[in-house]
Amino acid sequence: MRRLMMTVLTGVGLAATMAPLAAYAAPFKCPATGGDLVFGQEANINTLDQMTSSTISTRNIAMNIYEALMTRDENNHPILDLAASMTESPDHLTYTFKLRPNIHFHNGKAMTSADVVASFDRYNKVGNQRSTLDNVKSWDAPDPMTFVLHMKVAQPTFIEALSSFSVPIVIIPAEDRDVPAQQLTHPVGTGPFQLVESVPGSFVKLKRYDGYQPNTSFENRTGFGGYKVACLDTVTFRIVTEPGARVAGLKTGELQGVEDLPTKSLPELKKDTNVTILPLNNWWIQIANPNTSFPPTDNPLVRKAIQAALDMDEIMDAASDGNYKLNVGFQYPNQPDYTDAGKETYNLHNADLAKKYLAEAGYKGEPVILLTNKDYPPMYNSALVMQQQLQAVGINAQMKVVDWPTSVQMMLNTTEGWNFHFTGWGTQPALGALATMQFMVQPNATYKPKGGVDDPEVLAAWRGMNDLPTAEGRQASYAKMQQLVLDKVYAIPFGSFTKVQGVRSNVGGFVPFRIPRFANVWMTH
Amino acid sequence: MGAILVRRLGSAVPIMLIVSLITFGMIHLIPGDPAIAIAGLSATAEQIANIRHDLGLDQPVLTQLWRWYANLAQGDLGRSLLLGQPVTHVMLLRLPVTLALSAYALAMTLAIGLTSGIVAALRQNTWIDQAMMVFAMLGISLPNFYLGLLMIILFAVDLGWLPTGGYVALANDPLGWLATSTMPAISLALLLAGLLARITRSTMLEVLRQDYIRTARAKGLSNARVVLKHALANALIPITTVVGIIVSLLISGSVVTETLFSIPGIGQLLTQAVLNRDYPMVQGGLLITTALLVLVNILVDVCYALLDPRVRYDGV
Repeated sequence: MRRLMMTVLTGVGLAATMAPLAAYAAPFKCPATGGDLVFGQEANINTLDQMTSSTISTRNIAMNIYEALMTRDENNHPILDLAASMTESPDHLTYTFKLRPNIHFHNGKAMTSADVVASFDRYNKVGNQRSTLDNVKSWDAPDPMTFVLHMKVAQPTFIEALSSFSVPIVIIPAEDRDVPAQQLTHPVGTGPFQLVESVPGSFVKLKRYDGYQPNTSFENRTGFGGYKVACLDTVTFRIVTEPGARVAGLKTGELQGVEDLPTKSLPELKKDTNVTILPLNNWWIQIANPNTSFPPTDNPLVRKAIQAALDMDEIMDAASDGNYKLNVGFQYPNQPDYTDAGKETYNLHNADLAKKYLAEAGYKGEPVILLTNKDYPPMYNSALVMQQQLQAVGINAQMKVVDWPTSVQMMLNTTEGWNFHFTGWGTQPALGALATMQFMVQPNATYKPKGGVDDPEVLAAWRGMNDLPTAEGRQASYAKMQQLVLDKVYAIPFGSFTKVQGVRSNVGGFVPFRIPRFANVWMTH
Repeated sequence: MGAILVRRLGSAVPIMLIVSLITFGMIHLIPGDPAIAIAGLSATAEQIANIRHDLGLDQPVLTQLWRWYANLAQGDLGRSLLLGQPVTHVMLLRLPVTLALSAYALAMTLAIGLTSGIVAALRQNTWIDQAMMVFAMLGISLPNFYLGLLMIILFAVDLGWLPTGGYVALANDPLGWLATSTMPAISLALLLAGLLARITRSTMLEVLRQDYIRTARAKGLSNARVVLKHALANALIPITTVVGIIVSLLISGSVVTETLFSIPGIGQLLTQAVLNRDYPMVQGGLLITTALLVLVNILVDVCYALLDPRVRYDGV
């Protein structure tokens, strides 16, 4: 077996051993310790059962409690977390993980490979994204510190999927193996913080786990992994769904950190020397997905006309309250997978071209129904502006406003009665092109292909993204897939949102990321 | 009195059964299901299907209805699909929050509403009457969301007297509870006190015009004695009806106030449950709430009987 040492895995699917180099610089030390940091969270949490939830609100808290074998670093590259090393066999059919020693769960029990086996067993049974393990034939634990995954066929993108933080395969004690979905109400993990109390709708309190063993292969926190230290005594996530109350709490110092500050509050907050504003760019992609099985959007020329009519600046301005960036496609410019393939289709706001396509399509004023909701104002606002822009070029655009669950159920279960569904993609674009483009193929194809059969060209590009042996080949396939999706108008991405977070000025080490991380965060008094 | 109680309690059983059936039917009739809420914003169709299967939501509705009643017969209200906890446990956590806040808001409502209603009636058509009624109208008209935000800015941000939100349990820290509950209680009480003040005023005016009040005054009784013993005692029946409605409103929870001040009461809980289609939570939660409201109605009936002997005789 070939052995190769590397600090991060920059390409996935290498026949290699992955083990971080020993750190040479001094690891992170808390500049100050103690205190209770109260963080104002915008959304209620339903569960802390991380294996069975893909909501951001759950991840915000649970990812400070749990850890996985692998995760992603600050730049979204796969890194080892609870694993000390990972070896991929030359035939790409076996992955062997050596566990980091002296890891203990919050209940004091030492973590062994039996716990890893139990965690994979539970995930395979109730995990929200258990298809990650579809291509895994079996897993076993040859000794207490070794865990082995046996693949059915080689999958170059497996490590990328395994390290995903969308619904991560977090490691739990073996005794929790058979807990049914959604019912792991007393989470026990290995992370730097452990649960004290959870009162749904009110707050979740975590405290420092004194038995935490930092990953000495790193010098500092990176992404969801790295060298993590709990400097704070406790962290309280207070559910504050009203934006005005979050702003008030931050101003008074009752909250030391908050997420999702409303744009209109920013000018005043920027003047406040006790507050630091932290924009988190590229939070999500605002998007409308067409229904290609229902007239008139079953006609590619009608879809091209709609695409040509849109002014993304106007749409994003209304959707985000002015906090946005125009963005071609399904990745962000700072991501390794980013491509601007298909940019010639984006943000055209060309009424003449739209009318030309409509004439070619033989469009006779059939309604174009925009299915949206008011639960998420950005979705409603983007639909409203899109309706105006379509009407301006002679398209009979109509709004159908329902609540969020209804709109999703209509989108999933029927190809009748709607032409565009408005949504936002948050976690998936951050995870990379593969996670995002799964929305363009069955069983998840959001553009509702006719007869439920994938567009063969799109499917071929998707297979290239998954199966080609080299990273360059897979990247080229992604560019091809994005080009196809935009050319055929299987999705209309409007642009990317900026999410603005804020902390009190006595809070150090808080760096915006996909979740608010509280390891390596401290407060001065 | 005992007969009234038995009769009222007996009639509660079919009410509860009907409510449970209506609740089950309505929550299952509206589109959408809890899997969508659990899956989150950018979930794939596959993830949603997995959750539906895991939670048994792909079972026929009649099977789910049978399971609901079978469990109910054993006193099991089921388990919240979103919270993963038994409905009874969740409700028992939330009810004390709502009941404590309701009691605080009710005390304020009674103090403000009764006093201003009585004073306005006694000073009819004076500037005091006008001022009281303008105050009452303001309480009724101002959205309590707006009022709450104004109070946060004034009392929390500018003056720093009270916290912006959050909740401390009464049993853990009475002073902390008082601090976190005062603004929510005021925002609820101002709305309800306005309603109570108007009813009290009109009822008192009607009673004060009765012959027996004139007789009492002619006998030389003091004004306080006339008002408190003769007028107010007779005005209490319609006032009790309104107080019963106010208590029902408070117990069923104020979503807006709870959301604004981050209070984990049952109003917020049940609204989230409906929005997320958490079937067991909606069904079980509404059943418990209904039981409480039935209880409040029985208490109101008992109050009628205590206040007016004619009700006792009629009721037997």
